[in-house]
Amino acid sequence: MRQQYARRTQVLTSAMALIALAIIVQMTRIQNSPEAAIFRQQASNYAYELRTFYPDRGEIYDRNGHLLAGNKSVYEIGVDLNIVKDPNAIAAAVSVELGKDYSQVLDSIQNPPEGVSYIVLSDFVDVQHAVRLQELKKTLEKQAAEGVRGGLFGLEFKSHPQRSYPENSLASNIIGFVSREGRGYFGIEEKYDTLLAGNPVQTLVPTDPNKAFEIPRVLNGTTLVLTVNRDLQSSAEQILDEALTTYGADNGTIVIMDPRNGELLAMAVTPRMDLNEFWNYGTIYHNATEFNPAISMPYEPGSVTKILTMAAALDSGTVTPDTTYLDTGSILVGGANIQNWDQAPWGIQDMTGCLQHSLNVCMATLSTKMGAGTFYSYMDNFGLGHLTGVDMAGEAAGRLKLPGDADWYPVDLGTNAFGQGVSATPIQIMMAASSIANHGRTVTPHALYAMVRDGRQYDVPAQFAGSPVTQQTADMLSGMLAVSLESEGSLALVPGYRIAGKTGTAQIPVDGFYDSTQTNASFIGWGPVDDPQFMIYVWLERPSASIWGSETAAPVFGQMAEKTIILLDIPPDNIRQQLVAK
Amino acid sequence: MHAYKIAPWRVQRQWIGNVLLAVVALAMVATLYLDVTSQAAIAGREIQDLTASISASQQVSADLQTQLASLTSARVMEQRAHDLGFRPMENGEAEYLVVPGYSVLEPDILSSAPLLQLSALTIPPEYNESLLDWMDKKIVNSARGAQ
Repeated sequence: MRQQYARRTQVLTSAMALIALAIIVQMTRIQNSPEAAIFRQQASNYAYELRTFYPDRGEIYDRNGHLLAGNKSVYEIGVDLNIVKDPNAIAAAVSVELGKDYSQVLDSIQNPPEGVSYIVLSDFVDVQHAVRLQELKKTLEKQAAEGVRGGLFGLEFKSHPQRSYPENSLASNIIGFVSREGRGYFGIEEKYDTLLAGNPVQTLVPTDPNKAFEIPRVLNGTTLVLTVNRDLQSSAEQILDEALTTYGADNGTIVIMDPRNGELLAMAVTPRMDLNEFWNYGTIYHNATEFNPAISMPYEPGSVTKILTMAAALDSGTVTPDTTYLDTGSILVGGANIQNWDQAPWGIQDMTGCLQHSLNVCMATLSTKMGAGTFYSYMDNFGLGHLTGVDMAGEAAGRLKLPGDADWYPVDLGTNAFGQGVSATPIQIMMAASSIANHGRTVTPHALYAMVRDGRQYDVPAQFAGSPVTQQTADMLSGMLAVSLESEGSLALVPGYRIAGKTGTAQIPVDGFYDSTQTNASFIGWGPVDDPQFMIYVWLERPSASIWGSETAAPVFGQMAEKTIILLDIPPDNIRQQLVAK
Repeated sequence: MHAYKIAPWRVQRQWIGNVLLAVVALAMVATLYLDVTSQAAIAGREIQDLTASISASQQVSADLQTQLASLTSARVMEQRAHDLGFRPMENGEAEYLVVPGYSVLEPDILSSAPLLQLSALTIPPEYNESLLDWMDKKIVNSARGAQ
């Protein structure tokens, strides 16, 4: 009996062992079958997903730490179609809060495209609207839990950053804007787009939420500090806007630069746009050059160019400040008769008188005396016809015709000397004139003061672009320009400060002929003459109150210079000289 | 010479004891494995939560910074000053005094030292390595060491 039990037990054990063995064999077989390999491969395809981590775009500050461009949160509002319970409630809430069409929203929820489980109802929704919708969702969900219909189940909110400009239209021409796709357009935003945007990092993230994964280190975009002074920029824009009304000009530009290092302190233009509503670009501007005329719209600058002609004549030894000549009111150059602005003879004049009375005949005399080779060599060294390299997108080079060019004629030697037949942007004229203000050294204008990356600040050093004239010539000419302003009692003068400068009135060519009723009025000046700390360029397009730069651009310069002196804390000359003496 | 044989029930008991020992050992290993895996999973979750929290805080900070900048924009500040009875200073109204030690306002230095690194550069293997991975690594390493 006992043996019988033992036998039965052995049979049973063997049978169970066999079954267990069969299960193990089958498991091993399945695990190593070709089908299992396919399943493993399929599983591994979904085990990880490639995710891109986008860095926050770098901010832009003015030189005193005021935020000019930052980031704010906006929301993408969508619907998870798998958990929607009441499409009508969602459509009603979204149409009321976001102004969407009720029937369209309802249709998109009820009839989604094949295979789609999530649809976006609206993107770039501001925080206030999103928060109100979220609160409504919470309230309705509570009611839905109590059996009332109308829950917003399935309504999803995803926040993401968007560019924001707290100063709205201030310095819009300098900053530029960022589209919703994250690309920078114009100004600093375009020029430094790569730096500001940073580098997105792609990494494989396990889809199993219980698996830890290494978080990639995503450096935010580089933060930029500009040379711009926000308060000065604001003042420049106000003064410019008032000037357009006062003098009836179509448009205008005011640029303020530190002539010692090329730092752009302010650059006001018209029209400007609210950068937070960049989609209005097409309605404000007709073409890209209008966004920042100070760097991208070359024009015939007129008599402000006489500074450069006189500098060339003095530096080449053609004349000295005391050299005199007899002004007969006209001169023949290249077969064409060149006349003064008033078509009158001014008799015997020295070189300061030439500048003071802005005599075209004098300038044509100087350029012909120098000869084309010398004259154009100086103009080339001053940078006319070349890009300045200013760090804003969209700079234009202007045009300086040279002997040998198909469209250069001998008369151009005479007319170019007083700024006719040559085109330049305000920033080009400023760069050229900086060599006079800065004791012979030309500075490269720039708007970037420093970069902040990975917690470290890197200052951008000033760059110099050669010395077209000697320090002696530059200082001599600065003095002559100051005397000429003082002698004529220019409206550009600022009490207590010695200013050097020059007006410009350039007739605008219409249908191939210069129209004496339409002018570009300009003024370029700097001060204090013995230690220049600011250089201001004013350009008014087609002023109707007066066609003359001396009656329109010069007083605007004076007004701007007064404001600059106050905001930059520049003491009057006598006090400053006393301080220096101490 | 006498030959002794262990009683069958003793053999059975030894077998049962061995099997039970193996089961207990396996249970202990399984418990340990479960504990380590769950700890790793919890740590992983916490890291994800903290990362999300950092990201959210940074977004809130950026929002507040932008809001603050809007509230102190040039136009708003000018209007506020005007409402308080101030007016822009005219040239000639300023008095200049020599103040020993005063230096002209220079552009702000926003940062001079690297910020603390917030994201983890590497996660220790304890947090993403299974017990089997660990054993596999040990075996591979010892095999390499033997070679």
